[in-house]
Amino acid sequence: VSAAEPALRVGVDIGGTFTDLVFLRPDGKLDRRKRPSTPADYSRAIIDGVSDYCAEARFQRGGIGEVVHATTVATNAILERKGAHTGLLTTEGFRDVLELRRMRIPLSYDLGWKKPEPLVERALRLSVRERMDAGGNVLTALDMATVDAAIDEIAASGAEAVAVCFLHSYRNAAHERAVDERIRARLPGIHVSLSSEVLPEMLEFERTSTTVVNAYVAPLISRYLNLLRDALAGQGVQAPILVMQSNGGLISAASAAERPVTIIESGPAAGVVAAQRLARECGLPNVITLDMGGTTTKASIIEHGEILRGSEYEVGSTVSVSSRLVRGGGYLLRIPVIDVSEVGAGGGSIASLDSGGSLRVGPRSAGAVPGPACYGQGNDQPTVTDANLILGYISPTSLAGGSLKVDPALAAAAIRKSIADPAKLSLLDAAHGIYAVANSNMMRAIKSVSVERGRDPRDFAMMAFGGAGPIHAAELARQLGIRKVLIPPAPGVFSAFGLLRAEVEHHTARTVLTSTRGDDHAAVEKALADMRADLLGRAKAEGYDPATAEVERFGDLRYRGQSSELTVPLPDGPLDEAAMRAVEERFEAEFERTYGHRADAKAFELVTVRLVLRLPRHLEHGTAWMPDISATTETERQVYFGPEAGKAMAAVLSRRDLGRTPRPGPALIQEYDTTIVVPPGCEASIDSHANVVITVG
Amino acid sequence: MAHDPVRLELIKNAIGSVVDEMVLTIIRIAYSSIMKDTMDLSSAFCDRRGRMIAQGLSLPLHLGSVPDAMEAVIAKYGDTLNPGDIVILNDPYQGGMHLPDIFMFKPVFVGERLLGYAMLVAHHNDMGGRVPGSSAADSTEIFQEGLRIPILKLYERGQPNQTLMDMIAINVRIPDVVLGDLQAQVAACRIAERGMTELAQRYGIDALEGYFEELLDYSEREARRTIRSIPDGVYRFIDHLDDDGVNMNQPVTVAVAVHVQGDELTVDMTGTSPQVRGAINSTLSFAKSAVYFAVRSIMGSDAPNNAGFFRPIHVKAPLGCLVNPRPPAAVAARGISGFRLIDAMFGALAQAVPQAVRAAGEGGTTSYSFGCYDAAGRFSLFREAVMGAWGAGYRREGIDGVANAAANIANAPVEMVENSAPIRIERYELVPDSGGPGEWRGGMSVMRQLRFLGERATLQLRSDRRHNRPYGLAGGGHGQPSNNLLEDNGVWSQLPTKFTRPLAKGQAIRHTTAGAGGYGDALRRDPALVLDDVRNGKVTPEAALGDYGVVVLRRPWRVDQPATLAQRAKLALARKESVA
Repeated sequence: VSAAEPALRVGVDIGGTFTDLVFLRPDGKLDRRKRPSTPADYSRAIIDGVSDYCAEARFQRGGIGEVVHATTVATNAILERKGAHTGLLTTEGFRDVLELRRMRIPLSYDLGWKKPEPLVERALRLSVRERMDAGGNVLTALDMATVDAAIDEIAASGAEAVAVCFLHSYRNAAHERAVDERIRARLPGIHVSLSSEVLPEMLEFERTSTTVVNAYVAPLISRYLNLLRDALAGQGVQAPILVMQSNGGLISAASAAERPVTIIESGPAAGVVAAQRLARECGLPNVITLDMGGTTTKASIIEHGEILRGSEYEVGSTVSVSSRLVRGGGYLLRIPVIDVSEVGAGGGSIASLDSGGSLRVGPRSAGAVPGPACYGQGNDQPTVTDANLILGYISPTSLAGGSLKVDPALAAAAIRKSIADPAKLSLLDAAHGIYAVANSNMMRAIKSVSVERGRDPRDFAMMAFGGAGPIHAAELARQLGIRKVLIPPAPGVFSAFGLLRAEVEHHTARTVLTSTRGDDHAAVEKALADMRADLLGRAKAEGYDPATAEVERFGDLRYRGQSSELTVPLPDGPLDEAAMRAVEERFEAEFERTYGHRADAKAFELVTVRLVLRLPRHLEHGTAWMPDISATTETERQVYFGPEAGKAMAAVLSRRDLGRTPRPGPALIQEYDTTIVVPPGCEASIDSHANVVITVG
Repeated sequence: MAHDPVRLELIKNAIGSVVDEMVLTIIRIAYSSIMKDTMDLSSAFCDRRGRMIAQGLSLPLHLGSVPDAMEAVIAKYGDTLNPGDIVILNDPYQGGMHLPDIFMFKPVFVGERLLGYAMLVAHHNDMGGRVPGSSAADSTEIFQEGLRIPILKLYERGQPNQTLMDMIAINVRIPDVVLGDLQAQVAACRIAERGMTELAQRYGIDALEGYFEELLDYSEREARRTIRSIPDGVYRFIDHLDDDGVNMNQPVTVAVAVHVQGDELTVDMTGTSPQVRGAINSTLSFAKSAVYFAVRSIMGSDAPNNAGFFRPIHVKAPLGCLVNPRPPAAVAARGISGFRLIDAMFGALAQAVPQAVRAAGEGGTTSYSFGCYDAAGRFSLFREAVMGAWGAGYRREGIDGVANAAANIANAPVEMVENSAPIRIERYELVPDSGGPGEWRGGMSVMRQLRFLGERATLQLRSDRRHNRPYGLAGGGHGQPSNNLLEDNGVWSQLPTKFTRPLAKGQAIRHTTAGAGGYGDALRRDPALVLDDVRNGKVTPEAALGDYGVVVLRRPWRVDQPATLAQRAKLALARKESVA
C-alpha cells in the first residue's frame, strides 16, 4: 500500500475517558469523532468509531490507507500492574539494583510513603556469574551453568518475559547476547529484552528499570496490536498501523511490539507534534503548548521550531513534573521523550480548603465518573469545571455539543459548601479563586519547561488545546507575560490530529564516555557507524527505502566532573579536531544560555551519542475541517472575571463569526468540544490557518 | 480567616518555585558528586528581618540551620550590605554547622530597598584539614578539620573578593571543584534574586511583605495544630551512639524529654553526654533541625518550611554537651548525632502518638571518602553514601532500600563510580534476615563491597548502630547491626565503626548498614507475608521458623498451617517461661 495514494487516513488517540478519531478524507477535508473509551478492550472503540464513520460518510473501509495510533494501553498496564510475569537476569552481586533504585523518596517528611513494588519481584531476579569492567573488558567469563540455573527458575515460574541487564553491557554486549541465545534456544516464545539493545547507556539502575518496563509490557502490547490488526482486518481494513512514540516519531506496529517502552507517552507526544507542525506553518518559532484535559494539564515548549526533548521520566508517579526534586515515585524510563511537564490540574480536579485555610485544587480528580458536581452523578465536591460554569465561561447547554446535561445549581451548592461559606467569600469570588488556583498549578507545569530551563515565557506564544485549555489560556498567558495565544481548529481532538502529521522516526543512543580532546575518536566514529547501520536496517525491515532516510546525530556533553549533560548536534563528516572544537562551542553556548555562565576549566566529556533517523513521506495533510456540528442560539452571557475586572456581558460567538480584524473581549467562542474565553482587554481574530488568535492585553 | 486564600496559595507557590529553582540549578551545574548526585544542600529565602520565608529543600536535616546562620550575618553587617554583595561563612561557632557546609547569602534589593536574602548552604567535597574530605570522625579539635571561614564577603558590589578566593583555593585539596561549586552557589543565588525581584514588581513590595507575614502565620497555625494533636505530657527517650570516633566502645548518650503542653512543644536534652573528644559534636542549630524534622514528619501537611513553623517549638541543651559544644570541639562528623537525635525524638513521640511514627531506621547514612593518589602522585577524591532502611510502623511495612527520611539523598551508580574513580564495586545487595522481625517487618540492611585499584589512599569512614541496634516498637524486634570489614589478600578482618586509615592497592572494604526495627509481635505477622519474604530470599526459612514461628514448605511454596500454629504456640510458651 502506498500511503501517498488518495485514501482515508485515520488518527486515533485513546485517552482515559474518550477515544478521539480524526479522519483525513480523500477530498482533503478533516473530520472528527469522539467516542467513549472501552477499557475492557480498547480496540472496540476504534473499530466501532471507524466503521460507523465509514458507514455515515459512505467510505469503503478497504480504502483506508493508514491507521496512526496513540494509546495508553502500556501506561495503564504499568499503573494497574497488569503486565507480564517477568524475570530479570543480573550480574552476580547486583541482584537488587532494580529494588534499591536511586534511594530518594519523592516527598520529604512523608513517613506514610510506600515504595512502588518492583516490576520484577526478588524471587525472579536471578544472578549470573559474569563481569565486565568499565572499559568493556571481561573480568569474569560468563558462567553458562549459572545461566542455565536461572533459566530453569524462569521456566518453573511460568514467566512470559525476561529482561537481561549486566553491568557495563553498554560497552560490551557479548554476555547479554550469549544469554539471549541460550534463553531463546531453551524457552522459545518467551519475550527477551536485552539492556544493551533497549538502552545501551551507562547507569545500571536507569538501564535496568527501562529494560524491565520494556519486558513487562511487551507481551501485552504485542497481543493488543495483533488484536487491533486482526479486528481491523475483519472489517476489511488492511491498512498498515503506525504507533506514536513518546519522542513524537512514528514506528510500525511490529517495531512497537518489540520496543513498547518507546510508546508509553504516545498521547501527550501527539499533541506536541501537532503544535510544532502548526507553529512552523504559522511562522512561530517559539511556542509553549498547553494541553488541558479532565485530570491533568501538560505543558511543553517548542523553540526555534524544535520540540524540546528530555532523556528520562517516570511513569506511574503521582506527581509527574520534569524535576529531579520529586523523583522516586514511579518507574523510571530513560528514553528520548518529548519534554512534557504534567500537573494534576484539569477540569475534573477537586477544590478544597486545607487545614491551614489555603485553597487547594487537585491532584484529586472527580474523573469522568462521577465527574464534576454539575453532572449530578453523585459527586458533591466542587471541581474546576463547576467553577468555570458558575463564572459563565462555559455554558450549561453546550458541554460536548450539548449532549451532556449539567446543572449549575449543583455546582453552586458544591462551591458554597466547600469553599465560599467556610472562607467567607461570595460564590463568584470562591469560583474565581478555584479558577485562579488551578491556573497557578498549571503555571508550575509551564514554568518547569521554561523558567527552570532558563527560558523566559515572554519570548513564546502559547498554543492551547485539549477540552479545557482554551478556557484558561488567555489568563495564564497574561500572568506569564505571553502576548499571543493560538487556539487551533478542533482543539478537543488536536492530539489525534497530530498523529496524522507525524513522521516515521527511529532513535538510538549509546554511551561512549570519552574526552573531546585528543585525536583519536575512532571508537566514537565506529559507534556512530554501527548505530546508523542498525537504524537503516530497522527502516528497511519496516518496508521503507533507506535511501530516503535523513539521519541526524547528536552528542550529550558536559564539563568534566559534572554529571548531567546537554545534548547538542554533531556536525556531519569525520569527528576531527575542528569538528570537536565546534561541538564544544555549541555545548558551551547552550550551557551559558541555560545557566548564565561558562566554566573556567575547558575540559569536556562526550558521554552519549544519539542518532535520529527520519523518513519523510511528503504526505498531504488537511487543513480544512468539516463544518462544526454544534450550534448555539445564545448571543451573550454574563461572565465574572474576578474581583478587579468584575462582571461583564460577553458576546457568544462561533469561530465563523471572527474575522481578520481583531474583536475586543470579553467574548466567548463556543465550539463543539470547548469554549474559548477572551477576557476583557484581550482581542480575538482568526488567521489564515483558521486558528483563533488572542492578543493578550 | 483574615487573608485571601487564593493570593496566599499563589504567592506560596511562586516563592516555593524560586527556592526550588536554586536547588535545581546547583544539581545541574555543580562538579562534586555530593552536590549533584547526593544533593547535600538546601536553599532558602529570608525576609529583610532575616526570618526564613521558604526553604527549597533537598536535605531535611538542614531545616533549622538557616536561622542561626542568618542571625549571625545580620549581627555582623546589620543593614550595611549593598546590592551585588555576597556573604559566605562555614564556621560552626559563627552560624555554621561543620566546615564542609558553606553558607552563602545574597541580599536582594528592589531598587534601593532591601527585600530579603537569597540563601544557599551546600556541602563541599573538601575544605582541607588533616583528612581528605574534611569529614573525619576522629579529629579532636576544630583546627584539624579544615579551613574556617568567618562571616566574610565573597563579592562586594558585584566584584569578587580575590583574596578570599585565593585563600580558599590554596587550603583545599581540589580547588577546581570547590571553586566551581562555589560558582554554582553564586549562580543559584542570582536566579533567586531575579525571581524574587519579579515577584516584588508584580505584587508590589509592601503587598509582598504582607504575604510574608501571612505565610509565617500559616505555617505557625499548622505547627500548633499538629502539637495540639499530641496529648499533653512529658515523653522521654534515651538512645546511644556506639562511640565518639576516638574513644571506641564507649557509648555516647542522646537523651530527650519532649514536653507537650497545649500547642507548645519543648525538647529538653539535659542528660545527653557532655561534649566528646571525637568529631561527632553537633551545633545546637543542627540539633534543632533534628527536632523540627521529627515534628514536621508527623504534621501531614505541606505548609511551607519557614520561621513561623519554628515558633511553637523550643529546644534546650546545656552548653558544653554533645549537641551544644564549646569551641574548639570537633564537629565534622556531627551528622550521625543528628540522626540519633531524630531516633530519640521518634522514640519519645511513639509513646504519645504511636500510630504516627515508625521504629528506628538504619540509624543514618554511612559515608566514606577515598583520598586517592595515583602513580604520579596526583590527588583525587571519591566519596559516597550508603543507605538505608525504614523501620516498620502501625500497619506499615518497613521499607527496604531507601534513603534515610532525614537525609533524602541518592546513591552513586556503580557504573558511574567505576568510570570515574579507581574503584570496583563488587557487591551491592540487600542482606537476608537483617530487618527487625515484627508483625510489620523492618527494612533490610544494604551491603556494599568496594575494591581499591589505585596506588594508595586514605580511607575515612563514619558508621554507627553496631553495638546499639535500631529499636523496634510495640514488641517488634531490633534490626541487625551494621558492620565494616577489610579484605587483604583474601583475609577478612573487622574495622571499627568510625576510622581513618591507609588503604593499599587491591584491598577491599565491605560495609553493611544496620537493618531497621520491626513493629508489633512477630508471632502475629500474617504467615502469607512471611512466605513472600522467604520466597524472595528476604527472610530465610530458619528465621521464619525461629523469629516468626512460620513453617514454610517449597515446591510449591506454601505455609504449613498446622505446623505453624504449633510452632507459634511453642515460641509463645518459651517466651513466657523466659520472662518467668
